[in-house]
Amino acid sequence: MANYFNTLPLREQLNQLSVAEFMDISEFADGVSALKGKKIVIVGCGAQGLNQGLNLRDSGLDVSYALRKEAIEQKRDSWKNATDNHFTVGTYEDLIPTADLVSNLTPDKQHSSVIDAVMPLMKMGATLSYSHGFNIVEEGKQIRKDITVIMIAPKCPGSEVRAEYLRGFGVPTLIAVHPENDPQGKGLAEAKAYCVGTGGHKAGVLRSSFVAEVKSDLMGEQTILCGLLQTGSILSFDKMIEKGIEPGYASKLVQYGVEVITEALKQGGITAMMDRLSNVAKIKAFEISEELKAIMRPLFQKHQDDIMSGDFSRTMMEDWANGDKKLLEWRAATGETAFEKTPAGDVKIREQEYFDHAVFMVSYIKAGVELAFETMVEAGIKPESAYYESLHETPLIANTIARKKLFEMNRVISDTAEYGCYLFDHACKPLLADFMKTVDTDIIGKDFNEGKDMAVDNQELIAVNEAIRTHPVEKVGTVLRTAMTAMKAIKTA
Amino acid sequence: MIHSVVHIAQLSLQYAHHVVLDGLNWQIHRGEHWLIGGKSGSGKSALARALAGLEKTSGIVQLFFDNTSPLPPRALYVSNWYQFTNLEGDRNFYYQQRYNKQQKDDTLTVYAELAHYAKAKNLWLEEVEQYLALFDFADLKNTQLIELSSGEHKKLQLIKALWLKPQLLIIDEPYTGLDKSSRKMLNGYFDKLAAAGVHLVLITNDADLPGCINRFAEIEHGRLKQLDSVLDLSKDAGRVQKTLPLFLKEKPNVSAEVMVHMENIHVRYGDKVVLKDISWTIRAGEKWLLQGPNGSGKSTLLSLINGDHPQAYANHIHLFGQRRGSGESIWDIKERLGIISPEIHWYFDKTAKVWQAVASGFYDSIGLFRQPSYDKQQKVNQLLEFFDLTEYKDRVITTLPLGKQRLVLLARTIIKNPPLLILDEPCQGLDHDQTEHFNTVVDELCGFGKTLIYVGHYETHLPSCLEKKMILEKGEVKTIQDITELVY
Repeated sequence: MANYFNTLPLREQLNQLSVAEFMDISEFADGVSALKGKKIVIVGCGAQGLNQGLNLRDSGLDVSYALRKEAIEQKRDSWKNATDNHFTVGTYEDLIPTADLVSNLTPDKQHSSVIDAVMPLMKMGATLSYSHGFNIVEEGKQIRKDITVIMIAPKCPGSEVRAEYLRGFGVPTLIAVHPENDPQGKGLAEAKAYCVGTGGHKAGVLRSSFVAEVKSDLMGEQTILCGLLQTGSILSFDKMIEKGIEPGYASKLVQYGVEVITEALKQGGITAMMDRLSNVAKIKAFEISEELKAIMRPLFQKHQDDIMSGDFSRTMMEDWANGDKKLLEWRAATGETAFEKTPAGDVKIREQEYFDHAVFMVSYIKAGVELAFETMVEAGIKPESAYYESLHETPLIANTIARKKLFEMNRVISDTAEYGCYLFDHACKPLLADFMKTVDTDIIGKDFNEGKDMAVDNQELIAVNEAIRTHPVEKVGTVLRTAMTAMKAIKTA
Repeated sequence: MIHSVVHIAQLSLQYAHHVVLDGLNWQIHRGEHWLIGGKSGSGKSALARALAGLEKTSGIVQLFFDNTSPLPPRALYVSNWYQFTNLEGDRNFYYQQRYNKQQKDDTLTVYAELAHYAKAKNLWLEEVEQYLALFDFADLKNTQLIELSSGEHKKLQLIKALWLKPQLLIIDEPYTGLDKSSRKMLNGYFDKLAAAGVHLVLITNDADLPGCINRFAEIEHGRLKQLDSVLDLSKDAGRVQKTLPLFLKEKPNVSAEVMVHMENIHVRYGDKVVLKDISWTIRAGEKWLLQGPNGSGKSTLLSLINGDHPQAYANHIHLFGQRRGSGESIWDIKERLGIISPEIHWYFDKTAKVWQAVASGFYDSIGLFRQPSYDKQQKVNQLLEFFDLTEYKDRVITTLPLGKQRLVLLARTIIKNPPLLILDEPCQGLDHDQTEHFNTVVDELCGFGKTLIYVGHYETHLPSCLEKKMILEKGEVKTIQDITELVY
């Protein structure tokens, strides 16, 4: 199979990359009617599969689950998830031929084999939906021409998709129709209806394309952001240990700090995160982040280039074929890091302390988010798409670190994200080695404000504030966040 | 010489700018068992927490334990509000979560929780069995915390407290959500503990107390005021009769003669049967009382009606004339009913403000996600005025006394004037007067053609409009009868 993106002429590549239209809630006035009375069969019943299905059924739609024969016979977790919630469960052969819409919610890695098994069974003119476009774009999977191919990608973990729906809200969602597979022109109407069924329409929907979703998701969630947080966590922790900070404190400051810091990011962007610092600390953080951006920019560009050319996915798929050799090796190494092995201490850390004692982490997150955004936009991805895959995703990933550190982050997100994360981390750490030699506990581990008279130069502060607030990620973020204001704050221990 | 157990002098406590305790003095002597009651918001819980060292106060709090006693020399405070976390340590639950089945456990099981507790408090885990038996809890050992009903959570709190037998035991609202038999047993057990050397401090306005309680007090202007008996406790000022806002006097739009029709309902989790062969028909305008011991399946039964339970799709249920699972959404269902329950209260958005919480009732959402129209805003204002809540409209709901919080949730429930009202133990945690006040409002509300399902344990604490009763026991219907006849 050829990489779909690479088969397109430049004109069409740019055309598809630039699909990014923030949709008004009035566009969802038809509710779920485009799918009403139709048969929806979900393939896979993990966190996304189950929770999307529960929401769709509670929205009045007809949902059942197709699982592999072995999963049913061996009563695996996916089978239990579906039957315990009283869904109809059957094999592919039983259910796929009856489906008007087949929703593929299996892990990315299985997509190719799942589609091979499912497609011949699908009835003429049915619809196939995805929550991630890797299979179509990177693996170049060709779907039968009578089938409509759509994507509904909730930008949150499955458990949140359910929790927000039951609160009467939803999670921000990307929807797309694959231009090669929309023979009846019904794709968009069905994607919108599906999105309403999961509650996504209330929290802000971005109309995207398979190409834009994949190229930005691979860059953001799947590579840079996880990698960024992993590298930042390990470097911060190691530095504190090196300088004699108590390990339990250091571990807690990092584990929960990433979540507390990025919670400000989620609610009010880089501006709000930086505003949590004192004026002196803010100026310092700004300087550090500029330095970090200069150091890391070539690495970000390389990752983006590899993603655009398809090299990233090709080497990753080679590793899949090779029994995940690299992935497993890196996973084991991550499990052995001192940060991972040091439990968070039983010390009280005040919320503000997570900022004041971790100016480096704040600077580093600012640098990473801005760089990810800038690099994506330079590569032709629209600011709206780039926002979701940089600033928006970062707090969600940080939340998984707060739960159980890096192992949890890498377990939860996905195998592709885990692969990308290690790839980035291994390249980034050596890159920052010289810089880290200059870092001391004033910016990581201890209160930066301590012993300072807190005076700043007016002009300097004004310039720094101006630079933070007018960054393009802040401009698009302000618009998009108003649609998501009701998103619940992630609770912190 | 009289031995002191507690010596408190000049105790003061402020929340923000609000003075709660102001130079309070209090002595507890050996052999004394105290009841602290009085008006809501007078500082009862604050004092109880301060006594257990859980509040930042100024002044002296000294505890003198008996070193010769076999009981642990410590004070234990049992909160009026239970808490637990999921396995990943966050508290980000939604109230329907106990009905949604996933393969991984979200929370500890009762037994694992007790094992943790035993370890933390140096107790023998084997000993807990007798306390489980007291509360009929043995069957729940392998149940996850999230699956417990609110009454069962209360029992678990009490099991832990009785098991520890601290020398000073402070319990805030010990009877909340308990069924009648558990309550009677508990009072008997309190007397036993007192005889064994435990000193009790109960925070409640309830008059049905264990015999050992021999000191009574309330808090007035931040100081302790001792009373002769429970009858002398001050009461909240009676409510001035107000007329119901006009929009609530409109007869709700009833689309079907039969509001709820269930046939041979079964709900089970794995091998555990929660509801068994239940049939129930509720006609428009009927006022039902639903009763049953803690854990008999009342909340689960109601969750089938309000669209929260996934197993509704596997059962024969008609709601508002439409078969469940025939293309309706849970929002279509919720639009036509208003519900409050201890669970909804427990899981309610802790950051919500009063006005927003009430307005969110228009959309059945936890949290307000859109700007209500002018007409809707007026209704919110009128209703807050009706409930005497206007002065609290910008307050965060959780900072109000429990009784007021319940009124806010009731207001949220009725703001859209739904044809069906489900009030699942709405007065749990409220004292006698607050309960009476609440039930008067319910009677007023239901005078205009509403259908009502009301869950309450105590006959004396019910609205008078109720006319039919169903009793559940161990997941089965025990009785269905008319109760209006009994009055004549």
